[in-house]
Amino acid sequence: MTSLSTTAAPISEQASCAATGLAALAPRALQLTNIVKSFGDYVALDDVSFDLRRGEVHALLGENGAGKSTLMNVVAGLYTSDSGTVALNGSPVIIDNPSVAHRLGIGMVHQHYRLVDTFTALENIQLENGHGNYRRSMAKLRDRTTEIAERIGFGIDLDRPVGEMSISEQQRVEILKILTADARIIILDEPTAVLTDAEADRLFTAMAGLAAEGNSVVFVTHKLREALTYADRITVMRAGKMVRTVAPNDIDTTQLTSMIVGETIVERRYPSSNIGDPKIVLKGVSQAGGGDDAPISDVNFTVREGEIYGIAGVGGNGQSRLAALLTGLMRHDQGRILLAGHGALDGETPLALRELGFACIHSDRAHYGLANDLTIMENFSVSAVLAGDFGSPFKIDKRRMRASTQEAVKAFDVRGVRALHQKAGLLSGGNAQKLVLAREFSRAPSIVIAHSPCRGLDVRAAAAVHEHLHDARDRGGTVILISEDLDEILLMSDRIGVMSRGAIVAEFDAPADRNAIGKAMTGHA
Amino acid sequence: MEFLINWLSNVPQSAVPFALAALGLIVCERSGVLNLGAEGYLLVGANAGAGAMLTTGSPMFAFVLAALAGGALSLLFALLVINLRMNQVISGLTIVFFAQGLTSLIAARNGWTSRSFSGLDQLDFGLLTDIPVLGPILFNQDAIVYLTVALFAGAVFVFKRTEIGLQIRAVGENPAAADSTGVSVSLYRYLAVVSGAMLIGLAGGYLSVGVSKIWVDDMAGGRGWIAIALMIFARWQFWPALAGAVLFGCIEALIPRVAAVGLQVPQYFVLMLPYVATLCAMVWVSLDRTRHSGVPAALGEPYVREERR
Amino acid sequence: MPDSAVARSHRSLLSRINLEIREHAPVPQQVALLAAGLLLGLLVSALILVSVGVSVSALLNEFVISIVTSSRSMGNVLDRAAPLVIVGLSAAIAFKTRFWNIGIEGQVIFGAIGATLVANADIGPPELRLFTMGAAAMLAGMIWIALPLYLRLRLRINEIISTLLMNYIALNFLLHLLYGPWKDPVTAFPNSKIYEHVERLGSTGWLNISTSVAIAMVFVVIVAWIFAASRFGFLMKFVYANPAMARAIGVNVAVLTILAVLASGALSGLAGFAISAGIDNRMTQSFFVGYGFSGILIGFLARNNPIAVVFFAFLISALMVAGQSLQIFYQIPFSIVQLIQATIVICVAASEFLIRHRIRFVR
Repeated sequence: MTSLSTTAAPISEQASCAATGLAALAPRALQLTNIVKSFGDYVALDDVSFDLRRGEVHALLGENGAGKSTLMNVVAGLYTSDSGTVALNGSPVIIDNPSVAHRLGIGMVHQHYRLVDTFTALENIQLENGHGNYRRSMAKLRDRTTEIAERIGFGIDLDRPVGEMSISEQQRVEILKILTADARIIILDEPTAVLTDAEADRLFTAMAGLAAEGNSVVFVTHKLREALTYADRITVMRAGKMVRTVAPNDIDTTQLTSMIVGETIVERRYPSSNIGDPKIVLKGVSQAGGGDDAPISDVNFTVREGEIYGIAGVGGNGQSRLAALLTGLMRHDQGRILLAGHGALDGETPLALRELGFACIHSDRAHYGLANDLTIMENFSVSAVLAGDFGSPFKIDKRRMRASTQEAVKAFDVRGVRALHQKAGLLSGGNAQKLVLAREFSRAPSIVIAHSPCRGLDVRAAAAVHEHLHDARDRGGTVILISEDLDEILLMSDRIGVMSRGAIVAEFDAPADRNAIGKAMTGHA
Repeated sequence: MEFLINWLSNVPQSAVPFALAALGLIVCERSGVLNLGAEGYLLVGANAGAGAMLTTGSPMFAFVLAALAGGALSLLFALLVINLRMNQVISGLTIVFFAQGLTSLIAARNGWTSRSFSGLDQLDFGLLTDIPVLGPILFNQDAIVYLTVALFAGAVFVFKRTEIGLQIRAVGENPAAADSTGVSVSLYRYLAVVSGAMLIGLAGGYLSVGVSKIWVDDMAGGRGWIAIALMIFARWQFWPALAGAVLFGCIEALIPRVAAVGLQVPQYFVLMLPYVATLCAMVWVSLDRTRHSGVPAALGEPYVREERR
Repeated sequence: MPDSAVARSHRSLLSRINLEIREHAPVPQQVALLAAGLLLGLLVSALILVSVGVSVSALLNEFVISIVTSSRSMGNVLDRAAPLVIVGLSAAIAFKTRFWNIGIEGQVIFGAIGATLVANADIGPPELRLFTMGAAAMLAGMIWIALPLYLRLRLRINEIISTLLMNYIALNFLLHLLYGPWKDPVTAFPNSKIYEHVERLGSTGWLNISTSVAIAMVFVVIVAWIFAASRFGFLMKFVYANPAMARAIGVNVAVLTILAVLASGALSGLAGFAISAGIDNRMTQSFFVGYGFSGILIGFLARNNPIAVVFFAFLISALMVAGQSLQIFYQIPFSIVQLIQATIVICVAASEFLIRHRIRFVR
């Protein structure tokens, strides 16, 4: 079927047509033209055009906040665009509702899975597919799902509640959900964010198989390597605008980076020049009760002054629990945490830890880092107020509070601050994190616990966060950096511990070999 | 023995209002809408039932009207919490307050207050009814008692075995998931809120038509709140809620009989019994932390798709 | 409206309705919308009253003219407003830590019981009698909220239900006292024996303002100060906005919650004392009616702002006073007051929706 659209092809497309041959010449499965979407004053999509061919795997690449997910949500009917047109197989369609997308054969796997935890896999799939006689359709659906799962190599127990499944199993349920609903266009939003390299590889093999059957696959990602390795064509978005569509063979990493960021930012390794005495020592630390994360058992490591100790690992292997222990949110059951110059830590409250020189950057910024509904000034000042600064218990000195917030906002380059009494929730991710850093680093901490401090930040903000961590280390501080992003760990750490199934299973001196760490991360699983 | 039979044969009648109210609450809350308005739906149901009895004398009509009254009031509630996204706690309390004012106003304007009327007939199952002990307890009750059991069975069937049930549960557990599969969150929440309120309205109708046979202001007497506690106690499951309702029926049926046993307890302490028992039940259930509380994951949260900062 | 069903139904008009959350509407617009909601509520209430047979002129007379012109009516309104202000503050303090104190009524009852206990037993020197009664009332209110508070913190038992159940237990205990040991020995009516003169909250002797109004104002100032300027109030904002974050940064959330909730109970208890010793001069079997829910609604309408509490308490009080004369002169049940309060809350909530959302028509 040829396109009925009379819109001129974007310039970028002509370039890619020449390069990718088959995929680009295949009929258009989906074409978006001049899409605009705004939320209040914020323009999330600014005149975006995009096309998807039948039988291709297409990467939609860009930084967080570039508008990739918003664009795909427009396709999936979750958002309605303010203007612009959508054409499916050449004919214009209005997708103003998820059920319309569903009927048109468009299926999307969201970054945060849309699964009902208490339902079994089959019930979740039924939810997507339900019509008519429930019991008969359940039986039919079971056969159909099993057949599809076997065809693309997904092994899964359909009768287990998805809440009990691993992340990658849940992802399979999501994909089966849309495949059983006869999706011909499959959209995956950041599908590998929580997968190991091996799991990601298996996923993309299955997706390539689906594309070969004549379906179209779009995956949204911010990882260059992934786009270059697995996609037939790559479309880059930046700040709500379309940059270009290219073929992986025509471009190298540096070019792609500058397309994504708009400029080239390359962070370099910067090892410590002055490592001192042991500062914090964990000996046989175990903790099992409460929380969702895996229990940790017999964790041992030592971190010295003037050192960044990176803890690598796939999410859900006990990192959150370890972070909770080190930040005073939980108390360990067994073992000892020794702090030089203080002795053993035993259930110190977050307040007491702060007095001992701890600074904590939690992974879940919206949950533990800031109170989004309170002002920038309040969020910055709260730790100092707790320490007894800014006036007496009966009268808070707001003038001093304002002055020191003003100073910190400037020093930490927090942007987008129109007024100090503006809600912290209005700051962008990067600036919100800078505000957290400003607060946590306001008293020159000697120990920094940072858990995924750059999750969701753009490259520039991440570089700023890294610089502050380096500064803390260079002042003689001890930094424990827990991150699921192996690139970040390799870039920042002076020493690396690998966490798997609740224990540190290997340690490496930096610079370390990526493959060796990757093996340690999964070798014990 | 005489006392026991007399007591137990009154249990079903005392249990039905709790059972139907808890049933309606579960239907509503499984869709993720926190419903604190039960006391209000009971009152409008009881009021409509009493009014219908005093004007037409037809129990059948009275029950239909009671259910419709509950459903009508719940439309206001649904508008507030589903469309206007008002705080669900305040909305529920407001509904109770609204119903208290409305029913006593209506009753006063129409002169229904404290006028008794004839109630319901017990069904007679012939031989079954004549069985000693079990006969009067199980086979000599009014029609609504048996209808209640049937409604429970029906609700269980709908929730466990039908598409609609699956979708209501999905809306209550994860509205975003339901929405992205094309299920209309608002539609199913409306459906659950209104059908739940109709059941609670029916419970209220039974309270006036089947139990007290008279209207007095505020006659629900906190049964709506007890039903909410029952639902929590039953972990939002149907059959345990029915069992809990029977338990509370036992307590309530005991109250007028305490003096008869010769127990010298001051009467107001006896009247405290259901509330104290409810508190105890809540404590008991919370002590068992090994089990999942069963609360629908999205309970109390308005769903907004377009929300974005 | 956001949902698909509605969006679809509007497609035929070639326009779709988009709903957006807005962070902050300009303050004048907020006030205007709230005022419009309030007016709409009053208008609907007036319609209800007219429909039950109150003439428009009588309506104006009862609600506006007699309150503004007659100093006795005005005094009545103020006297009733005092306990309403106090229960409104009580609700606001508890809500500030996300504790739903629905048990205000029970605490009001226990407060009055505490005060009456002191009065009946003539505890303490007569000069300090009122002070002792007030303290006893606050203590009794605290005691009555302590159990639900404990259950919530230790066993995570929903405080909405537990505080409500405590209301019914308190009511039955009150009836037990009034029909039993505390029955009026002179008249044998079910109310406590009348308070002696030293046990009554009379006039302050200044502008004819009664002591209970003065007490209420003192607490308004204290609570407003705590919320706006104290360290406690500052940290309480975090407990409300994000308890997990507050805990992570070192705020002792449990202690703050306990203090705030106990203060809430104490204030409700004090309101019980203000009603008994300031209006009825004895403890009756229905003195508390309407105060519990009113407190919650006032707290909600005032968005936990102590100054706004005064305004709404005054409004509700005027309603109550007018409701009483409607009851006497037009045989309209007092419960009409409840109906009107609920109507106002619904209308104001609807206007809040417009503050929080922006409705846009697309295409």
